[in-house]
Amino acid sequence: MDEASDVMPSELPVERRQRHTRDRTASLNSLSHFKSASSKHIRPKSTLRNRGSNASMKSVGSDTDHSEIIAPIPRRHLLQTSQSLHWLRVDTSSGDEWLNRGVSPVSASSVGSVFPNNRMSNRLSFTALMEHERTTVGPSSTADARILEDDQGNIGAGRRFVRWMHRNNMKNWVVPSAIAASTLVKWCIGFGTYSGHNRPPIFGDYEAQRHWMELTVHLPVREWYTYDLQYWGLDYPPLTAYVSWLCGRIGSLIEPSWFALQASRGLETGGSKLFMRATVVIFDLLLYIPALYTFVCAWQGTRSSRKRHAALLTLLFHPALLLIDFGHFQYNSVMLGLTLLAINAFAAGHDLFGAIFFVLSLGFKQMALYYAPAVGSYLIGKCIYLGPVHGTRLFLRLALTTTLAFIIMFAPFLPPFSPLSTIAAPIIRIFPFGRGLFEDKVANFWCFTNVLVKWKHIFASREGILIKASTGLTALGFLPAVAALIFGGYKTRLQKDAQNHSVDVSPSMAPASPSSPTPILPLLPYALLTCSMSFFLFSFQVHEKTILIPLLPLTLLLSGAAPTDDVFLWGALGNNVGVFSMWPLLKKDGLGLQYLAMLILWNRLIGYNPFKLRYGHFAGLLSSVVHTVIIILHLIELAVTPPARYPDLFPVLNVLTCTPIFGLIWLWSIKRLVEVSWAISGLPGKREKEPSSTVSAISTTSSSAMFGHSPMRGEMGVRATSLGYASGRGRGQADARRRALVTSAGGDQEH
Amino acid sequence: MNTVKQSHSSPTDQLDDSQKPHAPKSTSAWTWLNFLGDVSKSEVDVLLLSMAFKFLLFPAYRSTDFEVHRNWLAITHSLPISQWYYDTTSEWTLDYPPFFAYFESLMSIPASFIDPKIVDLQNLQYDAWTVIAYQRLTVIISELVLGAALLRFIRVSVDPSRQRILSASLFLHPGFLMIDHIHFQYNGFMFGILLWSILMACEGRKLASGILFAVLLNFKHIYMYLAPAYFIYLLRSYCMSPAGAIIPTRFISLANSVLLVFLASLGPFVLMGQLPQLLSRLFPFTRGLNHAYWAPNAWALVTAADRVLLQLVKHLGVELVVNESGIASTSRGLVGDTVFAVIPNIKPIHTFIVTIIFQMVYLIKLWSAPTYKSFVAALTLCGYASYMFGWHVHEKAILLVLVPLTLLASENYAYYKTFVIASVAGIFSLFPLIFTPAETLLKIVYSFIWGGMILYPLHKQLYEFPSSLPWVLLESFENAYLYGFAFLQAFVTLFPLMTGGNPDTEFLPLMATSVYCAVGLIWSFIRLSTLYIIQQY
Repeated sequence: MDEASDVMPSELPVERRQRHTRDRTASLNSLSHFKSASSKHIRPKSTLRNRGSNASMKSVGSDTDHSEIIAPIPRRHLLQTSQSLHWLRVDTSSGDEWLNRGVSPVSASSVGSVFPNNRMSNRLSFTALMEHERTTVGPSSTADARILEDDQGNIGAGRRFVRWMHRNNMKNWVVPSAIAASTLVKWCIGFGTYSGHNRPPIFGDYEAQRHWMELTVHLPVREWYTYDLQYWGLDYPPLTAYVSWLCGRIGSLIEPSWFALQASRGLETGGSKLFMRATVVIFDLLLYIPALYTFVCAWQGTRSSRKRHAALLTLLFHPALLLIDFGHFQYNSVMLGLTLLAINAFAAGHDLFGAIFFVLSLGFKQMALYYAPAVGSYLIGKCIYLGPVHGTRLFLRLALTTTLAFIIMFAPFLPPFSPLSTIAAPIIRIFPFGRGLFEDKVANFWCFTNVLVKWKHIFASREGILIKASTGLTALGFLPAVAALIFGGYKTRLQKDAQNHSVDVSPSMAPASPSSPTPILPLLPYALLTCSMSFFLFSFQVHEKTILIPLLPLTLLLSGAAPTDDVFLWGALGNNVGVFSMWPLLKKDGLGLQYLAMLILWNRLIGYNPFKLRYGHFAGLLSSVVHTVIIILHLIELAVTPPARYPDLFPVLNVLTCTPIFGLIWLWSIKRLVEVSWAISGLPGKREKEPSSTVSAISTTSSSAMFGHSPMRGEMGVRATSLGYASGRGRGQADARRRALVTSAGGDQEH
Repeated sequence: MNTVKQSHSSPTDQLDDSQKPHAPKSTSAWTWLNFLGDVSKSEVDVLLLSMAFKFLLFPAYRSTDFEVHRNWLAITHSLPISQWYYDTTSEWTLDYPPFFAYFESLMSIPASFIDPKIVDLQNLQYDAWTVIAYQRLTVIISELVLGAALLRFIRVSVDPSRQRILSASLFLHPGFLMIDHIHFQYNGFMFGILLWSILMACEGRKLASGILFAVLLNFKHIYMYLAPAYFIYLLRSYCMSPAGAIIPTRFISLANSVLLVFLASLGPFVLMGQLPQLLSRLFPFTRGLNHAYWAPNAWALVTAADRVLLQLVKHLGVELVVNESGIASTSRGLVGDTVFAVIPNIKPIHTFIVTIIFQMVYLIKLWSAPTYKSFVAALTLCGYASYMFGWHVHEKAILLVLVPLTLLASENYAYYKTFVIASVAGIFSLFPLIFTPAETLLKIVYSFIWGGMILYPLHKQLYEFPSSLPWVLLESFENAYLYGFAFLQAFVTLFPLMTGGNPDTEFLPLMATSVYCAVGLIWSFIRLSTLYIIQQY
């Protein structure tokens, strides 16, 4: 105890300075937490004392005990961090922004992405950092290093823009101007042609959406799914129909001829185009952009505002989605936005809201089913995690909410409003099993292997086998995600006594109520990626546009990664290849220029140079190769017309290029799932073995204790810490510090 | 560690941009740009991102100017040089000076390879994707001249961080975006040459400056508005010693260079005896005082006053002589002669005299203080005076004011405020050029973002508290005027919706825009004139 009070004053200046800067860069949401957290001011002192005495007893005189003692002090900074991140076991109380900022569930192995690989210190815990700070690096040299970093740093235009804005005191304007700029870009993409432009008699997706507005406005609900199915019959779930109805009503108010029954088929006037384009932009502004913003707040709340702003920029200009929604013409952003809101609700601990959002997403577009296994098993995993009593309660609530939401959504097709037989029509329309294994050339397993094995030909009369095979493969494909989530929930399930302890120590930490998030949350983005990619690769009747669905979790992960991370490299590669996989479609729509512009814009924005050789990164080298191939393919396509025998030569080459990448991303996501779940589920077992007094003392504050174990689990474990620190790279430099970590935090057993 | 680092770097945040050598090791891919000094990553960002954005504008609305330029490609490609200024296949005859015709001729060569129909003289109103993409692309590429000049400005500036903002502001100027990339013209390229010329003056290479300006004049003769300032500046500071004695060698070399430029441009036509025909194409004196949409200058206010007086006469029965032919004129927005109903009519010679008088004042000041800063101010004011009082001024000509004025913006707060008022009013006055609904949203949002990104940091760096009550009042008035543009835009948007396109009031939003912008531009003109006259150089 004495020791603790001795050490304290000497450290205070540093601490105060840190708090000061933290104040300066305090994020938007900090104020709201100010009040709630201020009431907990008293607690840290006792924690400090416990911790201090503990440490001094265990390892007197070792050079780690100072940092050990200091670690809990900045707990006051809780008020500056988002409380929703407790579940992450991140030491939210630490005043150090490296730890606070870098760790996010999305950026598994990225801490402090400002400093690329040349600095190992960013991968260390607060305690070790403090030590490092004190002993080695003087402040002036670090300031210089930072300036140098600005220029040489491997950061994108987005980061540079955000930095410039912050420096010029326009921090609060970053988000509005980024949203305005992205809306402007979306609007300008809309100047181009759309799917089926000027191509009678059947036109394209644009006409489908317009036609749905037309028919929902004019027909009674029960005829929606049965009206003239040959001409773009409605084949999306009811929410799309309701939204179409709303748009149709508003549009008819402005100009009735836009949605006149029959007469308006194939209508392509400037006014109606403008209206249709405007509806997409408005829904995007109403749903998708708030979803992105809340994502950045909910999932990256502990990162610095600069990084969050940069992440938002990355997400706002997501090229594939922009090209399809605002160029090709669809409303994917609504479906994706609803799913994203669901994920955000899960992160904030509002599982029921999350479930409702996800049902809405499913109700807008059945393609959201690609996410369903991950979402479902996350919720089941959470029920298991909560234990028999709370878990069952949550399960029942979820079941009830979900069922109710579905019933309400389908209500107009159900008995009181219409005969029971009506419900059959939408269901049949929504799941088109009669349309064959695949239609166009799409970069999935079936089309890829079709080059060698003519599936349709071989199983010409036995489509059933193919359906079963594709279902089975898909299920096999997403099994790892399901298993990881459920197993993670099981491994981290709350023990009775542990639960009591944590309740004793700090109520805010106790995840006993269903409203607080679970430790398996970091698995969710990877699980979503695995699931949706598996659906994309193996399932039935996939469209090339569907790549948007796996690209969303991939981009979410990318937004939280540093430019040297694996996650970043895979994410950027996946996105570029994803856009390329839609090239035949975009070319048909006349959106070649927009394709080029968006790729340039987005890659520059995130600071990704596809042709830069990155030795030592598999994804980096792969990206150089793949991008070169893509460029060559484009050049050949420009110069050569395909021979008459193979009219589909270029789409097939496209498929052959893209499918392996998607397959690799799928495999990579499984690998990441294993790593992350390893890191997560490894923790509670250890915790049980520790003396319970230590647990009670540490558990509130010592993320370092949690993570301290992971290095002992071998390299995979280290990299998987998901929470990030000691990444496998540069172990040599870090060894000393890691030892310090281990001894300081989890070292009880070692001594 | 990071926190400490930040707290230490924060005092230098404002300065580090200027102090550190920007991107000392530029990435290898851009080393070829080294003649501009080291191009920093943020500069490449601006270039690439704006280029990507401009690509998206290819399918956007384009005015008849697009067809004008396509026709010129066809004329210069398919006709011998002797026919260029005689051809009347299209109504859009060639009416730019010869260098521009040569430039079109040059561009028509790749065009003929891409799609021979582009350069087919009879193929009027051709709007295939090839021609759109090609012509739009030539604008983007030729605009790089502007980008290069602006980068050089950063390199030679004493305060690179401010100059970087100003350079970016010009490169991303909503005026260029609207006129070049939507409406379709080659102003970015032309102003690039002008800025190179000014840059040469800045670096003290006055001969090069003069030659470049002569070249520019032979690209587009509207730059004659600026010629008096060039003439006086070069004569006084290059051809004369500070004491006032003429240095014959310099004078002769300058005169010879300029003559040579004109010879290269006009020579072939002089030889063919086509000079009168060429000049009649270049200077058509058949147009009216105002353009269809009144450019917001002094005459816009006079015309508006005339309209108001006419209404007074009509409704209140005030006894005034009314010119009957003037009642129908102007408010219909037709191209043609403006005839006033109440106020005495204005003849070209009047506008000419007023312009010259104003310019004389600035030129005398320039003569007495032939420094670079003074030159830029005089240049701006010459353009400004011509814009304010010229005959048949087009609203696009406001760029002649805004571009050089931008170079002065970071001088001090007074200049900055002048720049803000002129820019906001000037850019808003260009809005009627782009009237299609889809592009309307674009121009507003883009201009707004531009304004925020450029004006806010400059404001922060340059703001000075007003020193006494009159200045406080003045500043509040100016700010109120600037906020008024939001209401004006609301009015312009909502008025046609409310009246349902009634032809009697159709002209009202345009008139309101013109008058409101004219107020700001005239005030800014007065401000700048005063600043220039009282400033000690």
